[in-house]
Amino acid sequence: MNNSYMPFRSEILEVIKHADVEYTFRMSYDRGDTHPVKPGQFFEISIPKYGEAPISVSGITDHSLDFTIRRVGSLTEEIFENYVGGHFFMRGPYGNGFDVNIFKGKEIVLITGGSGLSPVHGVIDYFADHMDECKSLNIISGFKSPDDILFRDDLKRWIADGMNFIYTVDAAPEGYEGNVGLVTQYIPQLPLKDFDNAIAVVVGPPMMIKFSIQELLKIGFDEEKIWLSESRKMCCGLGKCGHCRIGELYVCQDGPVFKYTTVRSFID
Amino acid sequence: MGYAVSLEKFQTVFDSWRKKYDVYAPKVFEGTGRFSETDVVRYGKVTDLADIDWNDRSEYSFKDILLPLSQTLLYFTEHGMTESEGPTRGTIVFLRSCDLHAVKRLDYMFLENGPEDSYYKRVRDGLKFVLMGCDHDFDGCFCVSMGTNVSTDYDAAVNVRSGGFEIDCKDPELAQAFLDMGAAEADVTPDAVMENSLTVKVPENLTSAVAKSSIWDEYDKRCIKCGRCTVACPTCTCWSMQDLFYTENGQAGERRRVQASCMIDGYTEVAGGLCFRKKAGERMRFKVLHKVLDFKKRSGFQMCVGCGRCDAICPEYISFTHCVEKLEAGMKEVSGHE
Amino acid sequence: MIDMNCGKLKKNAFRVTKNRGVTSARVRVPGGHLRADVLGKVQEIAETYGSGEVHLTIRQGFEILGIPFEKVDEVNKALQPIIEELGINQSEKGRGYDSSGTRNIMACVGNRICPFANYDTTALAERIEKAIFPNDLHVKVALTGCPNDCGKVRMHDFGIIGMTEPQFDPTRCISCGACVKKCKQLSVEALKMDKNRPVRNVEKCIGCGVCAHACPTRAWTRSKTQYFRMTLLGRSGKKNPRMGIDFIKWADADSVVKIISNVYAYAQKYIDPEAPGGKEHIGYIVDRTGTEEFLRWIMKDVNLPPKAEIYKPLYWDGIRYSGLK
Repeated sequence: MNNSYMPFRSEILEVIKHADVEYTFRMSYDRGDTHPVKPGQFFEISIPKYGEAPISVSGITDHSLDFTIRRVGSLTEEIFENYVGGHFFMRGPYGNGFDVNIFKGKEIVLITGGSGLSPVHGVIDYFADHMDECKSLNIISGFKSPDDILFRDDLKRWIADGMNFIYTVDAAPEGYEGNVGLVTQYIPQLPLKDFDNAIAVVVGPPMMIKFSIQELLKIGFDEEKIWLSESRKMCCGLGKCGHCRIGELYVCQDGPVFKYTTVRSFID
Repeated sequence: MGYAVSLEKFQTVFDSWRKKYDVYAPKVFEGTGRFSETDVVRYGKVTDLADIDWNDRSEYSFKDILLPLSQTLLYFTEHGMTESEGPTRGTIVFLRSCDLHAVKRLDYMFLENGPEDSYYKRVRDGLKFVLMGCDHDFDGCFCVSMGTNVSTDYDAAVNVRSGGFEIDCKDPELAQAFLDMGAAEADVTPDAVMENSLTVKVPENLTSAVAKSSIWDEYDKRCIKCGRCTVACPTCTCWSMQDLFYTENGQAGERRRVQASCMIDGYTEVAGGLCFRKKAGERMRFKVLHKVLDFKKRSGFQMCVGCGRCDAICPEYISFTHCVEKLEAGMKEVSGHE
Repeated sequence: MIDMNCGKLKKNAFRVTKNRGVTSARVRVPGGHLRADVLGKVQEIAETYGSGEVHLTIRQGFEILGIPFEKVDEVNKALQPIIEELGINQSEKGRGYDSSGTRNIMACVGNRICPFANYDTTALAERIEKAIFPNDLHVKVALTGCPNDCGKVRMHDFGIIGMTEPQFDPTRCISCGACVKKCKQLSVEALKMDKNRPVRNVEKCIGCGVCAHACPTRAWTRSKTQYFRMTLLGRSGKKNPRMGIDFIKWADADSVVKIISNVYAYAQKYIDPEAPGGKEHIGYIVDRTGTEEFLRWIMKDVNLPPKAEIYKPLYWDGIRYSGLK
């Protein structure tokens, strides 16, 4: 019987700590040939007895996958406590993910809030290695506070690679030298030359997505060229459990990456 | 082939079916109602023809046979997982036409929407359906409006007659028992209701824009978010995953799925506490539009089968059908604004 | 001048009123439940023999007002169809009520109507009525369907509170939490969620049935057996008003009826022979004999089910007016 709910075991290869409540787990993955993984896809990760949680892939290599996990529920608590030398169970990949081909030759804009940087991490990695395949890469990443900043090493590397990377925090203690403010206030500063050849992706909490898109439209972005990644309570990943449905769409099947024009009329 | 048999003879047929199949049918569970000294009619295993309740619409549907309220999927230890055992015998389900149409909805969700669900399929493959003919409808039935009043896709169909039973048996295996006893042949058409006292019309111009209308607001206060409407519904299929470990041995346990409801708190809550649709009116809108709009957009056919159970079970007397009737006004309201 | 035996008049369920020569007829309605045609008969008596006025009594009866003494016999005849319809025990037809000492058995509306009641209070009230009437001794019994105690039964000698033992079927539980929430909001927080399932604290549970009422799937249901909490010796009155205290929980109906029936022999033996009108609250008798002796009499031949628990020790407090022991 082909049991879609049966997870496989994956060893924890490395743990990268970003912030007190956010770690990246590098997990063994040898199924790339039969089950290739795209950025923006997710896995159901579980430790038996604590249940499953949908986690986006934040990095992809031939034999490993990265998962950046926020410590928010009982499952992620357990993951944080017991990672050393351990393993997880997981099943996936699920969802459509990002197709890097749609970005090629374009002026790319990625706007992320908090953990929303994870799903597009793979897209950034790709173009960091293939800067010649896009016109420009502009990223605005917002975090709650300086302590919540993710992928610090990557940020430095990406900026060194020549992309236009702005990261900002909602609030910071006195004396903080980086950007402070919401991502939306940096959108008008985007150095875009040709809106016809631009593409934007927004990933983050619902309110952040809403206001970022408003801002993009205001500066002249074509609504057809805006994409977003919906975060919903994905539970089975298989279009069965119903939790992630919006209208006639199942985020786990039809998303989580959607064109803005597809989902803008949907009401939760 | 059709047969007309006495109660005794049908009992013999029933007994021979039971040698190979577990039989589920609506039956009376005495004293287990919501109020003291009241009964519930719901599905359960029957071992005698007399256990079957032919006189009522069951308060809960047959769906827990395919999607148990709580179902173990996997057993686990720290190091690995094992699949739970499937059924070892086939199952016969006695059900009415609306419910047989509901099976098509369940099949769509579990076999077509995304990959096949193996836990569903392993039960579904061994399932045979015996249609219970309806010679009258029940209070609040609207099968005719939803086009589910007639079924042809059954393995056998039974009409209750004063002297016994009429059975149309399409399935050769089930028919064998009739042949063995030399049952008298007859022309049998399953009883079907051709007109309900309740007619429900889904507006043809219905779109998701109606979500913005004010017709949903009254439910904010009226609905108690108990979820009975969805538990009783034969087409609601949502569930949640749960893990538990056994107290005696903290290293072993099971992963199970339990039925969930978009009406009940926690349904949309994501890790971190973010929650969509806090208000009851929003949940009502989400449910009602799924039943008469969203599901059809995806599958091509309506989800609601018109069984009327949601109306009958609501402790706050909220009527789904009344809400559907309000959709037309809701559409007028939102189209006026645009 | 009128010559009236007031003792007999009162025993016959008429009142000696402040208006000279004018009485009122008191009609008991066991369990407070009647067919509406009784109302018509009450009206007819009130308009034919009385002032046309009726008072609804505190104990679920009618007091037909303004009846001249000379009409008592006629009123008793007119009361006969009501007495028969309400199933009142009676030694002689057409002579009205045999006694007025034991008071009307009160009951809340019960499970014929109320969604929360755990039993048919009307039926049990009628059963107790048959067992203890007529009787001159002053005994008050009240029944209520569930621990909400809408019947305020703790103000009576015997209070009967309906209980159910919740039955849980884990295969029907969907972890919705309605039972836990309702138990916390409306009852005693006897349920908590553990591993996605409600767990019932048997010690805390008062058997109110709120869980069975709240459960949307029939995972929680009521026990086939009906149980009762019995409260003891509550009273109003001038000396020492007090709430009845818990006596037995998880009792059965047979025991309840037997215990109440047993109290008469005890009271007969120990009642103060000087008691005004031959009536004394049971509680004051118990104050004299001690609780042990009281229990010895009322528990005679009572076979409680194994689940039943008797509270110990029994202690009453209540209102103590200054200067009274």
